[in-house]
Amino acid sequence: MTATFAQQEAPAGTGRGSGSGGPRPYRWSAWGFTAPGVLIVAVLLYLPFLWTTFLSFTRYNGLGSPEWAGLDNYQAMFSDPALLTSLRNTALWVAGTIIVPVGFGLLIAVLTYNMRFGAWFRLPFLIPYAISGVAVGVIWSFILQSGGALSQALDTVGVPGADSRWLLDAPLNTFVMILAAAWQASGVNALLFVIGLQSIPKEPVEAARVDGASGWRLFRSILWPMLRPLTTVVVGLSIVASLKTFDVVWVMTQGGPGRSSETLAITMYRETFVDSRYGLGGAVSVFLTVVTLTASIAYLRRQLSERKAL
Amino acid sequence: MTKAIRPIVLGVLGLLWLAPVYLLIVNAAKLPADYSSAEVWKPAFGGALLDNMRDAWERADLSVTVLSTAIYSLTGPLIGVLIGAGVGFAIVALRLRHGFWWFVFVFGGTVFPIQMILMPLFVGYADAGLYDTRLGLILVYSVISVPFSAFVMRNFFSGIAHHVFEAAVMDGATTWRIFWRIYLPMSGSALVAIFILQATFIWNDLLLGLTLSQSDDVRPIMPALTSLQSTYGGSAMPVVLAGGLLVSIPTVLLFLATQRIFSRGLALGQF
Repeated sequence: MTATFAQQEAPAGTGRGSGSGGPRPYRWSAWGFTAPGVLIVAVLLYLPFLWTTFLSFTRYNGLGSPEWAGLDNYQAMFSDPALLTSLRNTALWVAGTIIVPVGFGLLIAVLTYNMRFGAWFRLPFLIPYAISGVAVGVIWSFILQSGGALSQALDTVGVPGADSRWLLDAPLNTFVMILAAAWQASGVNALLFVIGLQSIPKEPVEAARVDGASGWRLFRSILWPMLRPLTTVVVGLSIVASLKTFDVVWVMTQGGPGRSSETLAITMYRETFVDSRYGLGGAVSVFLTVVTLTASIAYLRRQLSERKAL
Repeated sequence: MTKAIRPIVLGVLGLLWLAPVYLLIVNAAKLPADYSSAEVWKPAFGGALLDNMRDAWERADLSVTVLSTAIYSLTGPLIGVLIGAGVGFAIVALRLRHGFWWFVFVFGGTVFPIQMILMPLFVGYADAGLYDTRLGLILVYSVISVPFSAFVMRNFFSGIAHHVFEAAVMDGATTWRIFWRIYLPMSGSALVAIFILQATFIWNDLLLGLTLSQSDDVRPIMPALTSLQSTYGGSAMPVVLAGGLLVSIPTVLLFLATQRIFSRGLALGQF
């Protein structure tokens, strides 16, 4: 997919290039078409962004005016045990989301690759993707009640663990919620990988088959290297999405019990809208933004330099 | 022998994946009186599904909520996609000066997490009288749709030969007419794809709705479902599950109906 993006940059790029010289007969009407988008984005996205950044350096509870506090909020943030827990949980979400739904999506894609009725076999994994995060949370908090559906199933099969308090003990609650989110997200990853597999040229795959490669060897030496660019995209999207995990956790535990399953997104919401500590909530948002941007940039740069080395 | 393994593995995994859907449907179809939390796997043929859905509908007062959410999911992407397409058109067809950087500016609006804008929007909306109004939510959902629309439409318009634009100018068409009568009609598939993705996003949104609204008239459907769950999760589980099923039906149907468009669109690298 990255490759196609790169190709599509070209025509737009020429438009940009030719913009540097020559007459520009549509200057005003070009502005007319751009202004609504630029203004609305500036006022409702960038302005709030700057305001949050500013508030993160102040003490403010929504009433009166913000009071300059320097780095106090950031200091408070990194000395609060609840926030450290939230940080750890967010790290678990990122790691878990890279491993489970991405890995599982890849598995489903490879298993259904070049298979009769492959699309039908993929359908069960795609259905949860169309369900909202809230509905996923509703279903899974029902399944994961203590002594609920999962416990009953484990009990029947005779697997130990039936008496686990799935959503009440940390860090178990975070792990099971990662699985609930994986139930939703695996299908779309599978779909993306299938598209990647379909775009692999047939010749090298056939040549490898003729040479007797099949199964794991075929995957390891032909398919996997050719899927690398797509894997970059899928993993990158997963990292960014998992850093912002909110819906599923909010519905299933509200970050509890005792703030033990909070993620940064939940912490931000709680500090701001439940406890009215706007400055601290702002500091959490800024931190979340810095982490998100750093992660995406670092990840993309690493992948790009690796591809150059190949 | 090895040929049979793949379908079997996939079949077993598929059944495992469908188990939560089974549990959802079966337990949403039980009368609250017949429901037992100790026997959730037991199939139900009571057919109380529709009754429970009606019950969820009435308890959460969903008729007005569904109406509001439908308004948001239609107007938000519609406004967003038009404004985004305008930006794409100005950059590609009208060759806006420094167009690339204006594009980066608009697209940059989606780069940071939505948490960064929640609090100022909440405070600003309260000051401007937009808090807990439909207009306020339409506005925010439109803005959220702009950067992605600009991204897709800029790519899509790049694929339209510039001769098309020049020919229309020769014929004396105004830029607005070229945009409205030529470029937009040529981009049907991209517009529909953006519209569907953004409408689904808005229908499924929890965070913005939770932050910017509170009354039953304005609140979108996902916050309504969470409050249904926290109110009745203990006493009337089948009703809550029926509610969860009910609010998922539109997006699941839309997704199944349009799945092919997206596989094709993704393959072309357009989205």
